[in-house]
Amino acid sequence: MNTIIFSVLAIFSLYVFFKLGKVKASSKQLNRNNRINRFGNRNNDESNIIEGESEEVKDENDN
Amino acid sequence: MSKHSALNRFGRSSNPAFTRGFQDNVGSLPLSERMTLDGAVNKTGILLSLCFGGAFIGWNIPALAVPGAIIGFILAMVTIFRSKEKAGSTAPLYALAQGIFLGGITLMYENAFDGIAIQAIGLTFGILASLLLCYKSGYIKPTENFRLMIVAGIGGILILYLASFVMSFFGGGLSLLSPTNGSLMSIGLSFGIVCFASLSLVLDFDFIEEGAEKGLPKYMEWYGAFSLMITLIWLYLEILRLLAKMRSR
Repeated sequence: MNTIIFSVLAIFSLYVFFKLGKVKASSKQLNRNNRINRFGNRNNDESNIIEGESEEVKDENDN
Repeated sequence: MSKHSALNRFGRSSNPAFTRGFQDNVGSLPLSERMTLDGAVNKTGILLSLCFGGAFIGWNIPALAVPGAIIGFILAMVTIFRSKEKAGSTAPLYALAQGIFLGGITLMYENAFDGIAIQAIGLTFGILASLLLCYKSGYIKPTENFRLMIVAGIGGILILYLASFVMSFFGGGLSLLSPTNGSLMSIGLSFGIVCFASLSLVLDFDFIEEGAEKGLPKYMEWYGAFSLMITLIWLYLEILRLLAKMRSR
């Protein structure tokens, strides 16, 4: 009986893996700010560097 | 002086340690040459089939188990540290070699504890499916802290295994790791190791998901499937050990 139960569990689990594995993860999983960033290049829009013309900063002593 | 003078003068860093290797390729490949979820899952299926084929050989010829383990270990090291690009040829050989090893060791456990193999197989795939469901639904969210916790735990387990291996040359290894040790402490340790191995699967799922999302090169499908196989084989061995300990009580 044990053998049958565990065999069915193994086959059903493999079926779930092959079906579910090909489905994209939910947006709750993918659209997070705290995801692991393995390959870099993420959140470029949230970069600390402000793109654009650089501006000269006057030293107060010059005045 | 410019606010971003260093950036203006030297430009963005091209240090490989910062670019992390794949950044140049990410998203720049044609669609047919990019990693996909389908491809990674299909390749995992191929590796699992080869592993089962190898296990059939190992079960019938247990003497091949040790050579299988050694060859599998070498192939894993080559794939991880030398050539991810060649994972398409090394990963199937790894799965076959490890399958032979698993077949031999499973026979050994089965002779000592009747019916243990099918229980371990059922539990391994059960954990795989349930964690995949938790990951896909967003119930378990792998973060940098999550990864740190798993890596630190695996490091600790590795040190424990190494200590036991070294001690085995001087009489006997750690009795806590022995499959015939049915003490609560030993079972608790094995249970903890099974938990770490299970949670490592989540990191593998996330790696494959992110790789497909970023459009990594096609060979990374094999690499993703290979990393999933390593974790599954480790999980299976730990479940076998845990069940043997529980039966020894």
